[in-house]
Amino acid sequence: MLPARSLADRIASARTLAVAAPGAAASAEDRLARLARWFDARTDHAQGGTVLVVERSVAVPHGTAEALSGLPSGAYFDTETTGLSTGAGTVIFLAGIARVVGDRIHARQYLLPDFPYEPPLLRAVAGDLAASPRIVTYNGRGFDLPMLAARLTFHGLFREQAALPQAHDDLLPDARRLFRRPLGGARLADVESGVLGVRRSSDCPGSEVPTRYFGYLRGGSPDILAEVLDHNFQDIVSLALLEAELCRLRSGAWRHARVLDPRGMALELLRAGAVDDALELVEAAQSTAADPAEANALRRVASRLLIALGQVDRAEALWQLGTRRASVDAAAAWIEVARIRERHRGDLAGAMAATAAASRVLDVAFALGRGGSMVEVGRTRLTVERRLRRLRRWLAAADRRRERAERRRVAVA
Amino acid sequence: MLTAPPGTADDAIAALLGDPAIGRMIVAHRIVEPRAPRLAPWPETIDPRVVAALRARGIEAPYTHQAATFEAVTAGRNAVVVTPTASGKTLCYNLPVLDGIAKDEAARALYLFPTKALAADQLVELRALADAARIGLKTHTYDGDTPASIRSVVRAAGQVVITNPDMLHAAILPHHTKWFKLFENLRYVVIDELHTYRGLFGSHVANVIRRLRRICNHYGADPIFICASATIANPRELAERVIEAPVDLIDDNGAPSGRKHIIIVNPPVANEELGIRSSALLTGQRLAERLIGSGVQTIAFSRSRTSVEVLTSYLRETFAPPPGHPHAIRGYRGGYLPNERHEIEAGLRDGRVRGVVATNALELGIDIGSLDAAISIGYPGTIASTWQQMGRSGRRSGTSLGALVCSSAPIDQFLATHPEYLFDASPEHGLINPDNLHVLLNHLRASTFELPVPATERFGIAETPTLLEVLQEDGWIRRADDRYYWSHENFPASDFSLRSGAPENVVIIDTSGDRNRVLGEVDLFAAPLLVHEKAIYIHQGVQHHVDRLDWEERKAYVTRTDVDYYTDADLGITLKVLEVLEEADPPPAGLRQRGEVMVAWKVTMFKKLKYHTHENVGWGSISIPEQEMHTTATWLVPPAVVVNRYDRDTLDGALIGLARIARTTGALLLMCDPRDLGVLAQVQSPFTGRPTLYLYDATPGGVGLTERLFTLVDDLLRASRQAVESCPCADGCPACVGPAIEVGARGKTTVVELLAALS
Repeated sequence: MLPARSLADRIASARTLAVAAPGAAASAEDRLARLARWFDARTDHAQGGTVLVVERSVAVPHGTAEALSGLPSGAYFDTETTGLSTGAGTVIFLAGIARVVGDRIHARQYLLPDFPYEPPLLRAVAGDLAASPRIVTYNGRGFDLPMLAARLTFHGLFREQAALPQAHDDLLPDARRLFRRPLGGARLADVESGVLGVRRSSDCPGSEVPTRYFGYLRGGSPDILAEVLDHNFQDIVSLALLEAELCRLRSGAWRHARVLDPRGMALELLRAGAVDDALELVEAAQSTAADPAEANALRRVASRLLIALGQVDRAEALWQLGTRRASVDAAAAWIEVARIRERHRGDLAGAMAATAAASRVLDVAFALGRGGSMVEVGRTRLTVERRLRRLRRWLAAADRRRERAERRRVAVA
Repeated sequence: MLTAPPGTADDAIAALLGDPAIGRMIVAHRIVEPRAPRLAPWPETIDPRVVAALRARGIEAPYTHQAATFEAVTAGRNAVVVTPTASGKTLCYNLPVLDGIAKDEAARALYLFPTKALAADQLVELRALADAARIGLKTHTYDGDTPASIRSVVRAAGQVVITNPDMLHAAILPHHTKWFKLFENLRYVVIDELHTYRGLFGSHVANVIRRLRRICNHYGADPIFICASATIANPRELAERVIEAPVDLIDDNGAPSGRKHIIIVNPPVANEELGIRSSALLTGQRLAERLIGSGVQTIAFSRSRTSVEVLTSYLRETFAPPPGHPHAIRGYRGGYLPNERHEIEAGLRDGRVRGVVATNALELGIDIGSLDAAISIGYPGTIASTWQQMGRSGRRSGTSLGALVCSSAPIDQFLATHPEYLFDASPEHGLINPDNLHVLLNHLRASTFELPVPATERFGIAETPTLLEVLQEDGWIRRADDRYYWSHENFPASDFSLRSGAPENVVIIDTSGDRNRVLGEVDLFAAPLLVHEKAIYIHQGVQHHVDRLDWEERKAYVTRTDVDYYTDADLGITLKVLEVLEEADPPPAGLRQRGEVMVAWKVTMFKKLKYHTHENVGWGSISIPEQEMHTTATWLVPPAVVVNRYDRDTLDGALIGLARIARTTGALLLMCDPRDLGVLAQVQSPFTGRPTLYLYDATPGGVGLTERLFTLVDDLLRASRQAVESCPCADGCPACVGPAIEVGARGKTTVVELLAALS
């Protein structure tokens, strides 16, 4: 909020300031020339105004183009903006578009020298994107594309908007599914360092990006934008590498992937109809999972699959694996065994035995101090007790039924 | 039991007015004669489907004001409609809007209502009308209650978007690219309940309209504004200030009305010595019981939620239904759920509900049809509100009654003795100051975010280029070539709210029980005096010790206690004149000026005083930061020859009394809450060097109150003098200058002398 006191004074001082320093800032035209020299950028006058384009190219690991060969060629797209809100006052000041050509990635970065140059920049960016059948982004559904649409609307560039490719692949949801759990996050930077093996030499944190651009606009050296350009370039290059990696994983590389969430991958495989592969993946993963809770989560996926396929024995065997070491998770595994016996085999006595085992395991785990949190133990205990009571009731009822049937047979006889 | 045959109301009201027990309390009685409807032919250009739909609903022809509005706006002129409650105001704007959409389905309209409840109400009405006309109208409310799933549909396809100014400010304008279909085709903007947009809120809304206009221009639209207002003195002026364009005033009401009695009731004096009168609530209850009991459908308005509940339960006891039957008496206030409110509204319309007790939630245009009698218990604060409440009664034919029951508050007692201020004096002015710099700068920031501002553009005031320089200097915006662009990461519309400038209250929380409960509130100005730490705060006769005052959070934590002392804090208000802007010409005997001032207030210490003996038994310091604001004021200095007659103590007391009565009458003249008008009397003002009465705008930056007051000083002095002279008390009471213990034995007479000297 503005301080109340000094408003009149400030207006007075601003008035003198305005007289004292007219046009102290460089004109937008001067900025353009300076920026072009600094970044060795091409200036393009074709779009009804001047556009500043920085072109870059980098070699990609062997096999990238091959991995992507199954997909329509993509324009890897990322923007840097003057703020995070998608309101009308936030502007795209840098848009990077990359494409894989042979064993190289070629990128064009459209840089805004100053606000008045926005319309030609937008026309150039939209035109460039329109040359590809498909746009690929990281969180573009939530941010970059609505942002671009808002800016095109703002300037009335509806024809350009209509010509944008209809196909769009946002890699963020895939990356989240496959890497978030093992990496502890799914920012592009996490995926780069954890999966793609990319190391950024210098980087500008995303939160600093708008500040830097405003700093440049207020007369700072173009140099403070250098890292922003690098950051943007690295983002679109990583985007291409990530998509190649995703293609490889889907076509079998999941078997020897170093970092991969088996649950997420199993879902991907299922969606692609590869049920056997999905099963193979989770069965393998649960046997090697270091964390018993995670192993149980995997078994849950697998056992649901197996039961759906009618392989109840295999599902039960899977859970039996989890009962070996006394712990809360072992108790949870016994409960699953009990559930399978009860529901899918109609074996109440077997279910009873498994539940009793769960109860025993829980006691031992508690005595050994392997209980986990009290809440967890308590909750499992409750589940076990409830199940025990119910099974006893059912067993007793079954006994009574049998007795009645026995008596009736005797009476008839 | 409570249903009544037609004609009952006429007899019952006549019987009530003829009853001497009631008659004794009536201090004023006016009769509004019945009026026949005046109809106009359907405008030739109107779409036949719309006419057919209205005919089907029993409307054979429009009233004159409805036709006049249609003519004006379809000819491209803005309009403001000022007609009483239930005169078919809504149709004034629904008619052209629906007609416009019937002819061109791309056309769009934006409706602004001050509350979500009103918006919801209008949605139902508009949909019903569109359905009857078989126009597939796409309309919805867009506010905090709109489900996320349909928001994008409203944005892209809503033909009539019904919202409130706050939503327009924070959610629609800043994201206008998502709304371009609306803005591109915006034909009409409807601003209903225009009179609520006054003071600081109105000043904000006028700036939101400035922003709206810029965006419409950007998309090539130039909408017509249709405003509707309750009766105020200056509807055209207010409309023209809010939308900053010429408007046609349409106040020729063609709707019929029956005979109406309007009475002012003053409860009898209960305690001569203290000047205390019988409770307005109980008197209101008596009236309501009489009316409802004889079959007159009645609404009673009360100022607080608690009194609504109290009165509702009293009336329910009196009119207890047979077991198993629903109550015919209902309460209605903010905080009821929408379903419950709709049910009450419907009950009122179809007559199942015979009596309703409401806060001013029902004052605005919620459709409940018309009742036989409306009772305002306590002056609602403004003349316009009083007429709004009384306007709730009034049949198209047959007799109705409007009653104002006065409380002991000074302003109520002033009206009881001077009913002409209610009946004859021009109603209040709706005042706004869209050029209040604090307000304007915030909106200029928001507007730059929405759309770059050319360096030569004017946003309201001629000094816009200077303001843009100020914002650039502060780093919010930046000039490139001939325009200013938003150049900050923040989202400016979320930095301020349209209603926050109103003085916030400090909430008092009682921590004595098992659970904390809210005891009450005090306004920010009084809080340092009443709820500073270690203060003894008395609520309903119970002492509470203030344990902690969280000034930032505006919360005071208290516990019940029982001690033999009370606390008294010293409030120091200082006022510094920054600039004199205007002086009375020719000058009166003393001095009369207006200008910009800095008001600062601080409480530094308090005393503990023993009951009865008032012996000082301790003191403490108070650390509440000094509050200050830059605002506008009008000040009066009595001539030296008069002042010199009095000793210092007399003058001290009289100035306190003068300040009190000036605030009461000033608020009445200005149609504002007395809290919006600050007063300060200085025995020796550092600026004038003489005893001075300052009246200042209690909103930072001012909303134009004291500017108007400067032109009304003579009225202010006359009204104040009348009020004091005609007050039956001997030497001062709470209803006029204040009790003698505060203003001194000669306080009352001295105030009258000072008022005379100032004129």
